[in-house]
Amino acid sequence: MTHVLSPEGPPGTVPRALAPAPAVLAGLRLGVLDNRKPNARLLLTTLAERVAARTGARLVLVTEKANAAVRGEAEVLARLRAEADVIITGSGD
Amino acid sequence: MIPAAAPETSELIALADDTPETLLEAFAARGWGDGLPLVPPTEARVAAMLDGGDPDEVVGVIPPRFGLATRRALAVNAVLAGCAPPVFPVLATAVRALCHPEVNLQGVQSTTHPVAPLVIVHGEAVTRLGFNAGCGTFGPGTRANATLGRAVRLVLMHVGGAIPGQGDQATQGQPSKYAFCIAENAAHSPWEAYHRSCGVEAASAVTVACCENPHNVHDMESDHAARILLKVASAIASLGSNDACISQGEIFVALCPEHAATIASSGWSRRDVQTFLYERARLPRGELLAAFRQRRWRPWMQAEAPEHTLLPMTEHPDNYRVLVTGGAGKHSAVLPSWGMTRSCTLPLEGS
Repeated sequence: MTHVLSPEGPPGTVPRALAPAPAVLAGLRLGVLDNRKPNARLLLTTLAERVAARTGARLVLVTEKANAAVRGEAEVLARLRAEADVIITGSGD
Repeated sequence: MIPAAAPETSELIALADDTPETLLEAFAARGWGDGLPLVPPTEARVAAMLDGGDPDEVVGVIPPRFGLATRRALAVNAVLAGCAPPVFPVLATAVRALCHPEVNLQGVQSTTHPVAPLVIVHGEAVTRLGFNAGCGTFGPGTRANATLGRAVRLVLMHVGGAIPGQGDQATQGQPSKYAFCIAENAAHSPWEAYHRSCGVEAASAVTVACCENPHNVHDMESDHAARILLKVASAIASLGSNDACISQGEIFVALCPEHAATIASSGWSRRDVQTFLYERARLPRGELLAAFRQRRWRPWMQAEAPEHTLLPMTEHPDNYRVLVTGGAGKHSAVLPSWGMTRSCTLPLEGS
């Protein structure tokens, strides 16, 4: 019998968590954050339009960040916070 | 930002025996390891690796698992990789550098691109710790290069959660994800040591740069800087590289000593090399527009211009990072960037 140590180390805390999803979308303002992956704007905007049509939410803002691999610029995030209640974002390759 | 420390969970794992097969099987069952045999990280070996350092000190937080890279965790992975204890400060410095924000480690770890962190060791530590800066520096055969590079990968997998198909979404990956560590051959460089050119004055230093595998540049004939560097430029100007559409990345150019000597004998400085590559590693605007719908070009590159206008692979000469490494012969290497990451050079711990 022998003993070895785990290589993982302690888990940290995820720096930020997603906001809780609203139970009802009717009347809320939808925003789209295009992460600039190919076709992201088409995919995300189409999704937002369909969500709006089904729920009574309104698509009010479509914006973008510099690229998919870095966080959104402060002014982009500030505008989303100010003008939208729900953000749709994230598209892979 | 380093989150508040979570409770230590470093567990002792009981194994039936101390054979390599048993350890490999136990680790594989937990999704750990790089597939190669491992050295058992017993408490005694880990203590020797730590050499009195604080095991609970957090060197960094590694995404996407956001695991705490304590010195203990680094030491366990250093043992697993087969590192000799004297190289442990290189691992700690490399991990500290990887956690600098400009490296964008979360993106590096999780992208579909094959990018892997290259570790470059500079200064007196190269000889003192037995790193190979000469023949085959990118290849096998030297314990320090091989095990340090492997230890970095194991830390990224175990502490950071970069498990292929899970935290690491690389479509194909690349062989340098096993181990990617070289040393600068300052003794045969005609220019200032790389780390000093970055403003790091320590006797030894460590650079991390997240990039593709080295792409060979062969030139046996040229007797002038421009002729060698035209070949280097042609290896850089590729439509298949992320640099073509992102155009903001750092491109590492690892010149062999003989190419560097020829370039220097033409009276060229490191800055001249950077400027030449910036001017000559270009593609026609029309080809780039046809190839990419998504371009992360700066506004001046987006400006209207004829299709035959040549645009640079990266937006500034400073983004060409030039150093000398390797042994005899006339083969240099280009290491394209993932694009959305910057290198980081830090003084070696204790240096």
